[in-house]
Amino acid sequence: MSFTIYTATGCTRCKIIKQLMHERGIAFEEQDMKAEGKEAFQKFYAANRKAIFRGPDGVEFPLLHDTEAGNIHQGIGACVAYLYGGGKLDSFFSVGTLHKEWVDGIHVSGGNSEDAKGFLEVLRYIKKTNNMKLQLDTNGLNSAILEQILAEGLADVIIMNVLGPKELYSQILGKEVDTAEIEKSLSLVSKFPEYKFQTTVTPVVRGDGEIRYLTTKEVGGAAKLIAEATGSMKNPYLIKLFKPKECRDERFKDIEAMAADALLPYRTAARAHQVFVEIEKA
Amino acid sequence: MSYPTVYPTGVTVYNPQKAWNGFTIFQAREVGAMLIDMNGTEVNLWQGLHGFPNKMLPGGYVFGHLGERNNNFGMQDQTDLVQVDWEGNVVWKFNQYEFIEDPGEEPQWMARQHHDYQRQGNPVGYYVPGMEPLVDKGNTLILCHKNVRNPKISDKLLLDDVIIEVDWEGNIVWEWACNEHFDEFGFDEAAKNILCRDPNMRSSGGGMGDWMHINSMSVLGPNRFYDAGDERFNPENIIIDGRETNIICIIEKKTGKIVWQLGPNYDSSEELKKIGWIIGQHHAHMIPKGLPGEGNILIFDNGGWAGYGAPNPASPTGAKNARRDYSRVLEIDPTTLKIVWQYTPAEAGFLMPTDAERFYSPYISSAQRLPNGNTLITEGSDGRIFEVTAEYELVWEYISPYKGEKMPTNMVYRAYRLPYEWVPQLERPVETAIEPVDVTTFRMPGAAPMGAKKTTTIEGTRPYQGDRALCVAAGDEAEE
Repeated sequence: MSFTIYTATGCTRCKIIKQLMHERGIAFEEQDMKAEGKEAFQKFYAANRKAIFRGPDGVEFPLLHDTEAGNIHQGIGACVAYLYGGGKLDSFFSVGTLHKEWVDGIHVSGGNSEDAKGFLEVLRYIKKTNNMKLQLDTNGLNSAILEQILAEGLADVIIMNVLGPKELYSQILGKEVDTAEIEKSLSLVSKFPEYKFQTTVTPVVRGDGEIRYLTTKEVGGAAKLIAEATGSMKNPYLIKLFKPKECRDERFKDIEAMAADALLPYRTAARAHQVFVEIEKA
Repeated sequence: MSYPTVYPTGVTVYNPQKAWNGFTIFQAREVGAMLIDMNGTEVNLWQGLHGFPNKMLPGGYVFGHLGERNNNFGMQDQTDLVQVDWEGNVVWKFNQYEFIEDPGEEPQWMARQHHDYQRQGNPVGYYVPGMEPLVDKGNTLILCHKNVRNPKISDKLLLDDVIIEVDWEGNIVWEWACNEHFDEFGFDEAAKNILCRDPNMRSSGGGMGDWMHINSMSVLGPNRFYDAGDERFNPENIIIDGRETNIICIIEKKTGKIVWQLGPNYDSSEELKKIGWIIGQHHAHMIPKGLPGEGNILIFDNGGWAGYGAPNPASPTGAKNARRDYSRVLEIDPTTLKIVWQYTPAEAGFLMPTDAERFYSPYISSAQRLPNGNTLITEGSDGRIFEVTAEYELVWEYISPYKGEKMPTNMVYRAYRLPYEWVPQLERPVETAIEPVDVTTFRMPGAAPMGAKKTTTIEGTRPYQGDRALCVAAGDEAEE
């Protein structure tokens, strides 16, 4: 393997990745985009724009380019995962949006449960070895991994995306789900020191083939599921708007976006089971 | 203000020929919702029904609240908004805005309502011919509180004002949060600076910044400006005022954006300079169509202390940097910004500015336009409710005798006059005129009458000069 790492002067996350590569004896070339590597980065960015996420605050560093394999990993989580797992752990991570000591874009349910060992090693390295704070998310799958994360204290914040009521969970996920596992995750999440449940009012392919948004009753059902699994009506719970433009699923790209005010009746329905529910502002 | 030690309470002046006769509803301090007739007869007391404020509906219904949140944790939060019938039965209730768990208190849903609300059918909550509020259906706009954090304003916990619209079943169908529109209010850097450091911190709940303190919220209703094509005055739009910021503004219902505004500064144009600084105002609302002055904005401009801005001798930090020790009732055309009518200490017959504080309520208070052109004014801090004609003649006056025990004041937040027809349970009361007492001859038992027993003359004395040379400029000299 041959690596180029694109960094920014003073970037702590970049230093962590470089240190890991040194520890593992991995040779790499560094291009500091704020110093002598500026031109090289601009060239690299122009050639790979599609693969590099640029958020409202600019490009997240580091960017790890495996020049032989021809892949790019962005952000501390994805880079550490690649160096640990060589691609097997990729789906546990994406580019985050948090700054300073906080790392997000870590998806407990994103990867294969058979890769749990490697995933947990990555979390330990980032959190325990390098003192970063981790915000993880889950949709309820991989509850055994979540249990281990709780036991080892590997998450500072956990957000669970409760996809819908029990009866729609498999349909929304697009694969058969044992709802007992979802309930187990709900219960585990509520035991973390800081946590939040959230439901996006997402479009669902219905039995008749039509695509319709989750109904207020169905979101009420999701709130009820949380209450039953956690034994509490007092969980922090956020109802979010679905954003068709940001959706990767081609089936839902053309659906009309809901107005922010349309979430109000969803909040009313959810409040019957979760009293601290709030709605996302547009 | 400036009451003597001894003064009458109840109705003190009443001219049945010139007054707009009806019942008056107000919150008797620490007693309940009180309905009186023109002679002050207490025709119904809904005991213990809180009122922030109380308002009547046709059919003898009254709005109020079953309770208030413990002040240790909440600032003026009413637990609910209820509609009660003549016999005290709760026929409608809303409380499901926020679930509250205060230490030592029963966890419960609360409306956190404060200062105002409006039932569909009537834009302002008082009598307008042909615009009766619905009593058995319809939506209700409610002004509520919500604790928020917004670093744009301050790093401190903020007590924000939120307007919600709920349907008859209690579902929230519209919501507007004031803090989300901070950038639209036009605060200058001096104001932002003090707002950031001290957003009017109050002690409840361990400290929260009551930064805007909206105390009035009503719908514009049909009006001549919208009829002429001015979209800012869409009948669905909502007018509010913020006591702490000296802002009066109109919210576009459709977008939530601010589309018309007075304040926070009153020195940025000639029109505003002519209005003068509006301070700590209450009850700013558009006079509904069908009442004299329709379309104009009626405001109780308290004076007192309010605003955020540059420090000055009266405000070393810039907090509450505007001050005035008298009140005004202003009626302003919202398009020309001209004062169409006003009632100030001068119109009340007091020497300006030396006796100006005799019309002064630095907090609470209101003004209601009546169908005959009179204005019912609540000079709230001393519990005075009175009615004046367009020519400033006092035709009715009532002083609340209800002084609180927990808080020793007879304050009245806001009173409303309503037609006799809204209370079908009662016969039309007898209206007995009460002539103003000649205070120069009125005496307490044992007090001597006016008139010297002996008058001594001194040769060479000259006539009095009048008021042109007091220690401070007053009267005509002060106006020049």
